[in-house]
Amino acid sequence: MNQEQTTGHPHIRPGRSPLVERTERATVGQTTVEDPRISCKNVAVYYDAKKAISNINLDIGRNEVIAMIGPSGCGKSTFLRCLNRMNDTIEGCTVSGQIFMDGKNIYDSDVDVVPLRAQVGMVFQKPNPFPKSIYDNIAYGARIHGLVQNRDETDELVVGSLKRAGLWGEVKDRLKMSGTSLSGGQQQRLCIARAIAVNPEVILMDEPCSSLDPIATAIIEELIDELKQDYTIVIVTHSMQQASRISHRTAYFYQGDLVEVGSTDQVFLNPLHQLTEDYITGRFE
Amino acid sequence: MNNLNKRAVPGNGRTIDIVKKGLNKRYRKERRFRVFGWAAVMISLGFLFLLFISIISNGYTAFQQTMVRLDVYLDTDVIDKDDLAGADYAKLIHEALLSVYPDVTKYNEKRKLYELVSTGAAYRLRDFVAKNRHAIGTTIQIWVPADDDVDMLIKGHIDRKTPQSRRRINDRQLAWVDHLISRGQVKKVFNMTFFTSGDSREPELAGIWGAVCGSFYTLIVTLVLSFPIGGAAAVYLEEFAPKNRWTDIIEVNINNLAAVPSIVYGLLGLAVFLNFFGLPRSVPLVGGLVLTLMTLPTIIIVGRSALKAVSPSIREAGLSIGASKVQLVAHHVLPQALPGMLTGTIIGMAQALGETAPLLMIGMVAFIVDIPAGFTDPSTVLPVQIYLWADSPERAFLEKTSAAIMVLLLFLMIMNATAVFLRRIFEKRQ
Ligand SMILES: Nc1ncnc2c1ncn2[C@@H]1O[C@H](COP(=O)(O)OP(=O)(O)O)[C@@H](O)[C@H]1O
Ligand SMILES: [Mg+2]
Repeated sequence: MNQEQTTGHPHIRPGRSPLVERTERATVGQTTVEDPRISCKNVAVYYDAKKAISNINLDIGRNEVIAMIGPSGCGKSTFLRCLNRMNDTIEGCTVSGQIFMDGKNIYDSDVDVVPLRAQVGMVFQKPNPFPKSIYDNIAYGARIHGLVQNRDETDELVVGSLKRAGLWGEVKDRLKMSGTSLSGGQQQRLCIARAIAVNPEVILMDEPCSSLDPIATAIIEELIDELKQDYTIVIVTHSMQQASRISHRTAYFYQGDLVEVGSTDQVFLNPLHQLTEDYITGRFE
Repeated sequence: MNNLNKRAVPGNGRTIDIVKKGLNKRYRKERRFRVFGWAAVMISLGFLFLLFISIISNGYTAFQQTMVRLDVYLDTDVIDKDDLAGADYAKLIHEALLSVYPDVTKYNEKRKLYELVSTGAAYRLRDFVAKNRHAIGTTIQIWVPADDDVDMLIKGHIDRKTPQSRRRINDRQLAWVDHLISRGQVKKVFNMTFFTSGDSREPELAGIWGAVCGSFYTLIVTLVLSFPIGGAAAVYLEEFAPKNRWTDIIEVNINNLAAVPSIVYGLLGLAVFLNFFGLPRSVPLVGGLVLTLMTLPTIIIVGRSALKAVSPSIREAGLSIGASKVQLVAHHVLPQALPGMLTGTIIGMAQALGETAPLLMIGMVAFIVDIPAGFTDPSTVLPVQIYLWADSPERAFLEKTSAAIMVLLLFLMIMNATAVFLRRIFEKRQ
């Protein structure tokens, strides 16, 4: 079928201005917002000498859900991991540029990653509960940060977090059981509960539903919908439907470049860049 | 679009036919491979079986000891009630033997007669008298160990048909033994002495307990030093050390150290612990230090691979929740790696338990009769004891050697079983 869609013919829809050329890689759309929670300036990441992402300028607003989409290998995870400095743990990975939170560049040499990560929680693609009890999985972060002082407070926190993550009903009788004994969807919700138990301000999610079945996915999406009242959520997803269901804004990455940012409706219905349109219409490569 | 000529596989014919044609060859290959594997397992099992057969058939008789019953008159002239220890119990034993065979008068013949029972008989008698003072002045019945030559004869290791000149028991002694047997004064009992005594020049009095205690104290020192040091080194190198040229050099050298022949560690121990620090010779403390040096590389290498095997997703989980590096290691990585590290330690300990060469260099090869009671008492260890006995000319030490090997193997099996057991427990906990 590929023969029918040769590249190089910009599709110009009636009544609209022409799309930005494929060769043009400067970000189009609205990258800045008023009073941003996080503000990225000229972020670039290299794995050894290999460029993963470059020239990323992007603001993330307060209490917004922003979705990162793009073909695999385009640098979505890499960008996400810049926001809580998880890239620091990868050998040979260098990050340049600035990421401001509360007016402070988190890559300044005097910034401590421990409080940063307490402030910016993360949920991974593959659920990774600790091989400890469900209870301890949730209590762990609060304990190490000294957020709870005694048993009662811990109990309250565990119950509250599980309830928020919609897992309480399923696990309330087996809090002592290992977190790894749950099903995939339950494990992922446990990981979300674990992240929100520290009461972070931003939650990063890297394809949180990609290993889950549609029902578990729907539950998590519902959960994200609820969490967005209190948290800023940055979510990487490979599902455009998911992005359009849950996010306010969408950022499209392509080969290490941030190609287009805009409100989710605009990006999906009215993309400005040819590459974005290729992707959302399935004509990608 | 549906062009059948556009095939990925050249030639014509359905894929299923081609696959079926090759199938027999494929299965033949698999069968051949299975047979090879099976044969390899059988061969190694066979050798193991042979080893056990030869050790057990040589050694099982060591667990029995021939005893001779004597009627001893506890002569008040010989035993002074106020100085029980000073009495000449050997004389009483000799008189008891003479009373059975009053016709023996010549000095040489008497000596041959006395040789029927062990020199240990006198100690048995002494212990008996110490416990039964009231029996002094009466005649008592007591079972005393037979001499090792008699023991060998009873166990069938001495051939009666060999000419007298080449036999360790002469015809006269043979007659006495047969006579004693016919009177029911000879029996075989479980050889408790073997499990409760230290070494001895007399095979019938020699036991393994001294060496077991020596091995125990030595291994305690080794364990107490090598597990914490090796574990800490592994954790530091794997989790905290910067990856640079220096750590590369250290890593290469640890691998080299693991391959150094163990006797070199013995020489090092001799030079450092004995000559430089002036620690005593032949003691478990120094033995443990030397074996610590020897097992450390193993423990570090196994420990590092156990740490490396901890899944990165657990590390990410810990870090992303805001755990510091030390918290990550202490709370998440170590608990996961511990079973592997423990297994490595136990394997290192088993290695240390079977090690002889380095201990020879620091004098743990000495002939030691007393049971060591601490870390600084002169002692020997199980494998050295085996070596010493294997080197002894008496036939009776041959079976002791095999019996000691059985004891050593038993300890090794227990240690390995512990390693498996520990791993099961930890795995279940996760
Ligand atoms: N740990 C790593 N080491 C080296 N290269 C990496 C590493 N992680 C990602 N990359 C490379 O960086 C690029 C972006 O990867 P990633 O951010 O994981 O993409 P995405 O999440 O969009 O699929 C890819 O080309 C990938 O090969
Ligand atoms: Mg990714």
